[in-house]
Amino acid sequence: MKQGNILGEVWNLPRGTSEIAGKDPGRYLQFNSHMVTFYQQTYGELSRFFLALREGKLLGARCRKCKQVLVPASTWHCPTCDFVEMEEVDLPHRGVLAATAPITIFPSASFIGEAPFARGYVDVATDARIASFLPSRLRTTTGLPRPGIFVKGVELKLVFEDDRIGAIRDIFWVPMSEVPARLRQKKPLLASALNFKNPPAPKVRKSREAAAALGEALAAMRALAGKVTKSPRAQKDLGGRKHVLGVTTGGGGFTLKIEKGALRVAADLAKKTDFVLVAEDPAVFSRWVADGSLTDAAVEGKLWLPSREAFGVLPILDRLPRSVRRDVK
Amino acid sequence: MNRVAIVGAGITDCRGRWVEATYWDLFQQATRRTLADAQVKAAEVDSVVYGIYNDIFEHQAIPESALTGILGMAEKPGTRVTSGGATGFYAMRTAIMEVASGLSDLVLCVGGEKATDCYDPQSKTATPMVIDTIAKSWDPFFEYPLGATASDSYMQMCMGYDDRYPGDIGDGLVRAKIIEMLCRQGNKNPFGQRRDETVTAEQVLASRWIIAPFLRLLEACMYTEGAAGILFASEKKAREISERTGVPPIWVKGVGAANESYQVGRGGSHKPLHSIVSDRVAAERAYAMAGVRPSDIPLVELHDAFVAQLMVTLGEMGFVPLGKTRKLVDDGVMADIRQLGDAGRPAKGQVLINPSGGLIFGGHFVGGSNMFSMWSARREMLRREIPLALIHGTGAINAVFGGAIVVEFEGGVR
Ligand SMILES: [Zn+2]
Repeated sequence: MKQGNILGEVWNLPRGTSEIAGKDPGRYLQFNSHMVTFYQQTYGELSRFFLALREGKLLGARCRKCKQVLVPASTWHCPTCDFVEMEEVDLPHRGVLAATAPITIFPSASFIGEAPFARGYVDVATDARIASFLPSRLRTTTGLPRPGIFVKGVELKLVFEDDRIGAIRDIFWVPMSEVPARLRQKKPLLASALNFKNPPAPKVRKSREAAAALGEALAAMRALAGKVTKSPRAQKDLGGRKHVLGVTTGGGGFTLKIEKGALRVAADLAKKTDFVLVAEDPAVFSRWVADGSLTDAAVEGKLWLPSREAFGVLPILDRLPRSVRRDVK
Repeated sequence: MNRVAIVGAGITDCRGRWVEATYWDLFQQATRRTLADAQVKAAEVDSVVYGIYNDIFEHQAIPESALTGILGMAEKPGTRVTSGGATGFYAMRTAIMEVASGLSDLVLCVGGEKATDCYDPQSKTATPMVIDTIAKSWDPFFEYPLGATASDSYMQMCMGYDDRYPGDIGDGLVRAKIIEMLCRQGNKNPFGQRRDETVTAEQVLASRWIIAPFLRLLEACMYTEGAAGILFASEKKAREISERTGVPPIWVKGVGAANESYQVGRGGSHKPLHSIVSDRVAAERAYAMAGVRPSDIPLVELHDAFVAQLMVTLGEMGFVPLGKTRKLVDDGVMADIRQLGDAGRPAKGQVLINPSGGLIFGGHFVGGSNMFSMWSARREMLRREIPLALIHGTGAINAVFGGAIVVEFEGGVR
């Protein structure tokens, strides 16, 4: 896990005041300020849990009386049995997702750059009648998180980061079905044993309908590319960016090239690309041109992306139809 | 307990940002209007309860201390309440207890928020920092480091609900129609933040996802800066003020509250993922105390973070069956403001839901949002002669805080 400083260079503002316009007439001032403290926060009684994570173990607290298991051990005294002292229990490295997990695409300021990510609650002490769930980061080896993967009841495998500091992000869970059989019993299973870098692209079904839809999508995208040459707003959106995006669809492949403020569409899949996106239905791209959104298609699971970097390009592409509409009649 | 009445209410304009005012002035505006509404001078007030959610937003620890003198509350008891999104509810509950106990005869309850002075230098906008500040409602050990946001937290409840009752909240068109209705209502709120906006179901369905598949951009509540005040009085004082103003008192009939465990899990005292138990228990307690059933209540002002959560909450509170909350639209349970006009009452079997526009169209200044709801409920009861109303508040991560108040207008038509 990267260490580095807590706050980067961007987390600052120049000293001073500035004028600001409101809804009512009149002159108003605002001043730059901050309200923050640093912490060297003790984990206190929770240290046992985080020390165990460092050693590749998942600890819970079990009550001898009511048998409930707390995962993580949020307290060592059972709140339902007159605060009787609880015992340490070494938990399995497998669990079940307790409810379908939301996927965050608009993170808060501290997590910009990590989206999209999934987090949810994992039922680990499945043998116990009463148990709490572990709040968890969820990852997949099949690309970015998308609907249909982290659904209620899916079996999960606990994975440990190779370098651990004693923090909840030392661990995460992946669907058991994505873990090779020989690694499923491994305790602890380290992240380096799984391949997150080059996820295999999903297979697409070829069809005549998709080929026709691709024809329409290509025509729409070419029309868009033509309008970009007349749209200062769109050129500004693309300004300074250089990407070669390959796309595989059920109707065949194509390539989107962004360079020098222009968008170019090629009706074949280029040999050298930054990323290859996959959409079984090429109409995803027609809808994008018609003021839709590729980000939404990705969020809905209709457009597959190999990486966060690819996801980061989508908002720029999403701006184009609107910019063009405002500039080109 | 002694009888408690609402004898005055006032709110500020609801704005995305108040450049023209600090939170000091917002609280004073709300106080001025509340006292003027009841024709009461500050000196006549016995004590004050402040609803302020978050010190980081106000940029001052003990923010209420700066308000005492400005609001004319010097040398009176002052209590600050902070309970996440349910801050307004819990502040009102505290004010009600003060009167009900006989400790005070006239209590000002005033709540508000200054949220969007926050600024994120990275994106050069306020929003990611506002979200981050609210995300600090999660603990620093387990939950916050995972990157959870407030949206995720309410959405997790909706997803758990959908796992148990598939197909109910998942129909985007049903949710979009509710938005359309809330928008029309918000257009009629003279203080509402989005009173000049028109949002159609079609626009909702075309708006971008925040979290698929239950939350699009046009389905979410706002961040608002503003404040609201409610004046609570003992029976004797209420009669006296009512004589002065000519406005009948609104009586507090039932108050219910329930906070679920922070720890999510299975069995025991754990918070379940498929249900907002806090909403259900709080409402049931308020009904029991008031001696009413949900079917007796034609008006609800509820805390709607998102439309999907509005549906679940109305299910938990018994206005529609759990798993079949889409009856709100399908069976016309949600009254149509176009048919009601400005003075009409919902038909039998119908409920007027968030005539203020709710937190999605009206306003959501966290510390006073539930007072905003109470302000609206009183206004609608008086002008439509509605006998009973329910005011709901929810808050904290995973909606674990819940509150409900049943109020009565004796002059209402049953
Ligand atoms: Zn126990």
